[in-house]
Amino acid sequence: MLESVIPRIQDWPINRIAKKRDKILQETISETVLEFNKSYPTLFSLREQLQKTLYLENIRLKTEPWEVDPEDEREFWNGIKKRLLQADPAQIDEDASKELHQEMLQDIISRYANEIIGNFIPNMFWFARQALRLFFARLFNAHFGGLKGLFNPDEKLKDKLIVAGPVEKLRNLSTKGTVILVPTHFSNLDSVIIGFGMDYIGLPAFQYGAGLNLFNSKFFSFFMGNLGAYKLDRRKKNPVYLETLKSFSKTNILAGAHTIFFPGGTRSRAGNIEDDIKLGLLGTVMAAQRIHYEKNPSNLAPKIFIVPLTISYHFVLEASSLIEEQLKRTGKEQYLVNEGAPTTVKGIIKFFWETFSKSTDITLSLSEPMDVFGNALDDDGNSLDKFGQPVHIRNYFANKGQLKEDDQREMIYTQMLGEKIVEGFFKNNVVYASHVVTFVAFELLKKKLDYPDIFTLLRTSDEDREINWDEYKMCVKRVIDELYVLNNKEQIKLAPHMTTKELDEIIALGINNVCIYHANLPIMRNKEGNITSEDLKVLYYYHNRLKGYGLEKCIG
Amino acid sequence: MRNASDKYPVAVIGAGSFGTVVANLLAENGEVLFYSRRKEAVEAINKERSNNGQAMHPNVKATNDMQEIAEKCYLMFPSMSSDGFREVIRSMAVYLRPDHMMIHCTKGFDIKLEPGKSILDRDVVLQPSDIYTMSKVILEESCVKRVGCMSGPNLAREIAFHHPAATVIASKFEEVIREGESAIRSKRLQVYSNHDIFAVELAGVLKNSMALAAGALGGLGYGQNAMAFLITRGIGEIIRLATAMGADKQAFLGLAGIGDLVATCTSPLSRNYTVGARLAKGETLEYILSTSSEVAEGIKTVSISKKLADSTGTKTPIIQTIYKVLFEELKVEEALGYLMEYRWGYDADYM
Repeated sequence: MLESVIPRIQDWPINRIAKKRDKILQETISETVLEFNKSYPTLFSLREQLQKTLYLENIRLKTEPWEVDPEDEREFWNGIKKRLLQADPAQIDEDASKELHQEMLQDIISRYANEIIGNFIPNMFWFARQALRLFFARLFNAHFGGLKGLFNPDEKLKDKLIVAGPVEKLRNLSTKGTVILVPTHFSNLDSVIIGFGMDYIGLPAFQYGAGLNLFNSKFFSFFMGNLGAYKLDRRKKNPVYLETLKSFSKTNILAGAHTIFFPGGTRSRAGNIEDDIKLGLLGTVMAAQRIHYEKNPSNLAPKIFIVPLTISYHFVLEASSLIEEQLKRTGKEQYLVNEGAPTTVKGIIKFFWETFSKSTDITLSLSEPMDVFGNALDDDGNSLDKFGQPVHIRNYFANKGQLKEDDQREMIYTQMLGEKIVEGFFKNNVVYASHVVTFVAFELLKKKLDYPDIFTLLRTSDEDREINWDEYKMCVKRVIDELYVLNNKEQIKLAPHMTTKELDEIIALGINNVCIYHANLPIMRNKEGNITSEDLKVLYYYHNRLKGYGLEKCIG
Repeated sequence: MRNASDKYPVAVIGAGSFGTVVANLLAENGEVLFYSRRKEAVEAINKERSNNGQAMHPNVKATNDMQEIAEKCYLMFPSMSSDGFREVIRSMAVYLRPDHMMIHCTKGFDIKLEPGKSILDRDVVLQPSDIYTMSKVILEESCVKRVGCMSGPNLAREIAFHHPAATVIASKFEEVIREGESAIRSKRLQVYSNHDIFAVELAGVLKNSMALAAGALGGLGYGQNAMAFLITRGIGEIIRLATAMGADKQAFLGLAGIGDLVATCTSPLSRNYTVGARLAKGETLEYILSTSSEVAEGIKTVSISKKLADSTGTKTPIIQTIYKVLFEELKVEEALGYLMEYRWGYDADYM
């Protein structure tokens, strides 16, 4: 447990911003109106966009109503429908029509912005932090018992939740600029665990977007809404909502809010490390850095720091339902649907119980912090090129010395940043025994059965799922050897248990750890001592974690 | 045309024959700083106003001061040979800034090999990830992010004679294309744009194998039917190989793809074509290499393409056959016989 870099919660950026809630709201709204009118400058195009928004919102209301939706939702959109009819430029004067459309735009944006914005209450944060610590400490005590565990829970927590990488540097930078943490996303518990982990290393709280569906529960809603979470509604894909969300994000980053972005947009359905970065919200980070330079002299402009973070679990709470969704999505008619079990409170407790009470752990692996162009940073946050010389990144936004906004240019820069983030994910991925044992088992089956597609493979009958133990062990050895090579080239990281234990121990540890959590064992040894699986889908899910490293060549 | 108020000169780096052509083209629209490593060349250009047998435009000023170039110019056209490209970028990296833009004119790859290995060695295995295009080299070796390339059917000699031509400026950045176009467009050079810089760069290199094959056909005395056969099936192989390397197809149907291929295959003066013709006359690769000062780019390209086709499992009968001629002593006539018997199947199967 490290001392907080800013001791008083009241002084944290997130709290300073929460105090300016109304100002942030107003700025978000006016910024969205501005940007939207820039994208759709004519009355005709604006009207078209509003009609499209109304159409999409009506569909959402019919097909996907949620408890969290406000009661006047239908009323509001019926009102917009009437106002669109009244504002028809074919019927009334063009200037009057323009004004009516602007009013509508303003009203819709304001409604969205009010829904998105969250809150932060220092006392609530303090309370939640104590509760969570107590909860975790109890779990250890349950297992380790004894007075030592009771009085010294942090000691154990350190072994259970490992924050690896340039911790000191990140602490340092968090006082010198705005930190954007970009983690891989496997589970709904990620934000809680990352939040806890960052608090643990003494960073002030981060803002993050939480799915609006989580706010369906009053309990979660009350907590998260006051702990810095803002709300994201994935059902709303209409242009006005997306623009509001972007403006909200930009306004907050400009105000200096440390933020967590899940750049993959959503939990990884297939269990792989994200390589497809959603550029929308990340683009707002790029724009914010440019605006900082527009508003300030180069040496005083606030800086934004990007920190990729790779989470490693032995097992994932929602593995089973995630992979079902993935297969449903990619397989279409080839895949027969089994409804995955929803995440329940019981499931969450079981997850933490198993994680913290058994011999298993979670790693949050930080990448080296970088500026928005992927340059390394010194301890003061100055950008350095590959020779260690200072780079003045302001000039990336300039043409012949003049700062100039150029959306297309920033889009490409954002793509490049996305590539850097993915590189960070892969390089700092901490390999666990469970990743290796599942990877090898699935790849061996794939090779042995040689089916044309994954769906046939997943329907393989029990007797065909057996893998000879000696062959399996040999392949695990080869994959581990290759992982060492990659590790030496700094292309991947290995968990300590991968380097300190013998081969047999690693395999046993891996199999045990995947299996403590799942009812149907994704990987197991049968009576003959050979490897088999009771749940190929979940095995496939876990195996995907090591995709993208070219390890397939070690199989067979 | 460059804006009259635009007071910044444009730089050309590398004073080879194509660099000279580019410098003269740019000079029609404004001031040009022309970099050469060699002091004698700089003096010759500045005093005698000629380089590589081409007269220099009065707007061109030669220098061997990299720092001066980096300080005065925002836009640069690196035109070094691919062999020395990385080295030169590395040596100028200290002077480069985030507001520099680079549009390179080099058709070649940079390949990281183990020390002591050559790309012509038969035991060397290549993966697509071993291939660095010149824009990747710039991104890797310097802080410059706004990169582009210029490529197309642009034979240096013809441009030097002021014959009309068209070229492609490719970059992910609209801004780079805009700047490049206004710097180089003129009455004798038409400019097209493309966002797919990777495909354009691949096209500029992969065509070399076909130039060699074209030389062999010419050396055997065959005419336009055979040439058309080669060019069309050749672009198919190039497209398949490029797709396997992760590129999109579209750019290959444009100037930088089919355009450049036609120009190279039908131009008997090129070094690649000459090597092909000599092979057809029965000379061995060893002998050809021993009698020429430079390895023709096409020989390297054949070896690279073959290795890439093997590692990606791509069907490339023409490339495989030229490879056999070059490195496995297959006779050109037999090679042609093999291609005539090969079961091709469907015509335009690469789209």
